[in-house]
Amino acid sequence: MTLTPDMSAGPARARRTGAARQQVLRRATPYLLVLPLLAFIATFTYLPIAMSVNLSFREWDFLSPDKPFVGFENYRLLLTSHQFWNSLQVTAVFALVSVPLRLVLALAIASYLVRETLPARVLRGALFLPAVTSTVAIGVVFSWVFATDQGLVNGLFQLLGLPKVTWMQDPQLALWVLILVNTWKQLGYDIIIYIAGLQAVPGELYDAASVDGGRRFHVFRRVTVPLVMPTTYFLLVISVIDAFQVFTIVDVMTRGGPAGATDMLVNMLYRVGFTLFDIGTGSALAVLLFILLITLAVVKARVIGRKVHYDS
Amino acid sequence: MTKTIMSAGALVLLGTAIPATAQTDTTTVEFWHSFGGSSGAALDRIIENFEAAHPDIDIEAEHVGNYNDIVARLQAAIPANRAPDAVIMEVTRYGLFADRGVLLDLTDKVAADPLSDDLFDFAREVGVFEGKNYIVPFNSSTPVLYYNADILDRAGFDEEPPLETYDDLLTVAQQVQEELGDEGIRGISAPGQFARWGLIMANDSDLIDSTTGEILIDAPNTVEAYEWMADLVHEHDVASPDNVTDEDTGKEDFLAGRSAIMMNSTGNYGESKEALGDALKVRPMPCNKVCATPIGGAGIGIIASAEARVQDAAYDFISFAASPESNAIWFSETGYMPINRHTADQQLAKDALADKPGIDVAINQLDVARGRPRPPVVTWMRATEYDMWQAMALGQREVEETLQDFAEQTRREEQRQN
Repeated sequence: MTLTPDMSAGPARARRTGAARQQVLRRATPYLLVLPLLAFIATFTYLPIAMSVNLSFREWDFLSPDKPFVGFENYRLLLTSHQFWNSLQVTAVFALVSVPLRLVLALAIASYLVRETLPARVLRGALFLPAVTSTVAIGVVFSWVFATDQGLVNGLFQLLGLPKVTWMQDPQLALWVLILVNTWKQLGYDIIIYIAGLQAVPGELYDAASVDGGRRFHVFRRVTVPLVMPTTYFLLVISVIDAFQVFTIVDVMTRGGPAGATDMLVNMLYRVGFTLFDIGTGSALAVLLFILLITLAVVKARVIGRKVHYDS
Repeated sequence: MTKTIMSAGALVLLGTAIPATAQTDTTTVEFWHSFGGSSGAALDRIIENFEAAHPDIDIEAEHVGNYNDIVARLQAAIPANRAPDAVIMEVTRYGLFADRGVLLDLTDKVAADPLSDDLFDFAREVGVFEGKNYIVPFNSSTPVLYYNADILDRAGFDEEPPLETYDDLLTVAQQVQEELGDEGIRGISAPGQFARWGLIMANDSDLIDSTTGEILIDAPNTVEAYEWMADLVHEHDVASPDNVTDEDTGKEDFLAGRSAIMMNSTGNYGESKEALGDALKVRPMPCNKVCATPIGGAGIGIIASAEARVQDAAYDFISFAASPESNAIWFSETGYMPINRHTADQQLAKDALADKPGIDVAINQLDVARGRPRPPVVTWMRATEYDMWQAMALGQREVEETLQDFAEQTRREEQRQN
C-alpha cells in the first residue's frame, strides 16, 4: 500500500486522494498535538497511580526483592486500625473547619479589596505573600511563635499576666493551631481568585439593586454571593483537596503529634510508608484517600454543582 | 567552510573525550552522612586528608540529615537505583538493611585489614550483625550527663550536688526550677530517645534484651523508668513540653542556658563546650539501680550494589576514617569516643584529654557500657517510640497501659517481619 497518488488515474482521482490524505491528517493533528502531553501525564500520573494500586495488594518494605501478593490484607489492616480512623477523623475536622473559614474570610476580604485604591492594592500584595512563601519556612516560624516556653504568643500572655498555654502539646489545641496557620497561608490565594470573580460581576446589577433600595448586606447576599458561585465552587473543590492532602505544615510543626492529635491522612501515609517501611499499607492508604477525594468531588458536583450558574 | 566545521567538530569531540578519559582514572565514592556544624567540619578535614593521600579517589560527601532522615532517604533511593556507595548508619538501625542484603558483607575486608586488631572490642562489636561485619565504626558514643555550673550556682548550689540517682536529678531540677523558673530557666531538658534508653538501662532494664532478643518494653523496671521520665514533664513541670514534641529543643535550651541539665550523646561535647565554656560540666549517666549505659553512634557501610572498584575505594576511605590519625581529629573536635586503641597516642588526642575537662567521661563510662540489639524490628520500634513517649510525657495516656500496648505492637511487628 502506498500513499503516492496514481497520476495515471487522472487528475480527478489524484485530487480525491490528496483530499482524503488531508482529511486524515486534519483529523489526526489534534491527537498528535496532545500526544506528548498525554505521554507525559500517563508516565508521571497514571502509571504511578496504577503502580500504587498494585503495591497496595502486596507486602513490601522497599528493600526486599520480593513483593508477595497479600490480597486485601493491607486494606483490612488499615480499616481495622485505630490510627486510620483517628487520622480520618482528624483530617475531616481539619477540612470541615478550615475550608468554610477560608472561603468566608476570603470572600469578605475580597469584597473590600476589589476596589482599585492604593491601600487595597498594597493589602492584596501583602495578603498574597504567605501563599508564595515556603511552607517549611512558615512552619518553622510558627513553631517558634507557638512554642510553650519561648514562644511569642505565650510571651504576650505572660505580659498580660495570663498563664502559659501548651499550644503544640495539648491535643485539643494543636489541631486548631494548624488550622490557623494553614488558613493564614492559603487565604491570599483564595482572595485573589475571589477578586477575579468579583471583577466579573457586571456593575449594572449593583446599580439596579441600589436603585431598588437594596441594603448593603442584602445586595451582597442576593447579588454578589450568587454571581461568584462559580468561583466559590472552584475554591471549594480546590480547598477540600488541599485540606485532605495537607502534609508539610504538619510535618514541620507537629509531625502528627502530640500523640496522634494532628496525624492527618497524608502524614500517616508518610509515616507508614517511609518511616515504618510498610509500602503495601501506605499504598493502600493512598488508594483509599484517592477514592475518598473522588467521592467527595462527585458529591460536591451533585449537591453544589447544580446550584452554580455560569451566566451573569 | 566544510573543513572548518569538521575541524571544530573534531575539537569538540576531543574536548569531551579528554575529561572522559581522565574521569576513568578517578574513582568517585558517593557518601551520605549525618554531620553538620562543627562535626561536619571535622569530617571534611578527614576527607581532605584522605583525598590528599589517595589522589585517585574522590569522596563526594553529602550531609543528608539525621539518622532518621538517612534511613528514610536510603530506603527510597534503593528501589530507584539512586543509593550512594557508602553511608553512615546508626548502630541499632542497620540490621534491617543488612538483613535485606542492601549492605555489603565486609567480614573478609575487615579480617584482612590490620585495623581490625586496633579497634576497641566495643567498637568492633557494633559492626557485627548475625556474625557478619556490615559496618565499620566511625562515631561511637554513650549518653552522658551535662550540666551548667553557672545555673546551679545561681540556684543556690554552693558545691556540686550528687547526680547519681533519679531522686538526685529530680531534687536538683526542682530547686533550679523554683529559684530560676521565673527567668524562663528549666531544671532539666526532657531526655531524648538515646538518653531515655540510657535511663532505662540505669534502672536495670532495657527495651529489647541484647542477648536473648526478648522485648522488655513492658517490664516493670522499664515502666518505672518511663514513669519517672514522663513525670519530669507532666507531674513536676521541671522539663519543657516543647522538648517532648521536638526533641532538638532540649539541646537548644541547654546550649542557650535555658536548661540546667541535659542527658545526651557525648558527641555533643564540642558544641556544648563552645556554647557554655567553663560552665559546662560533664558527668556519667545516673546509676539508679545499676550503672549501665548504651553504646550508640554509627558506622559506615557500603552498598552491595555499588561497583567492585567503588566498593574497594569506599573501604579504603572507611579504614582511613577509623585510623588513629583520623580518629584523633574526630575525638578532639566532637567528643565522640576514640574507637582505635592508638588514638590516645596522637598529639591531638593528648591535647584534648589535657585541655578539655569532661571529654573523657564517656571513655571512663565504657566499663558499664554495652551494645544494643539490632534486629530488623528495632527500626520500627524506635520510629514508633516517639509517639508513645509523647502520649506518656504529655499525660495523655497512662504509662503502664501505653507500654503494654507498645510491647504488644512490637511483638506483632517482629512476627510480621520474620
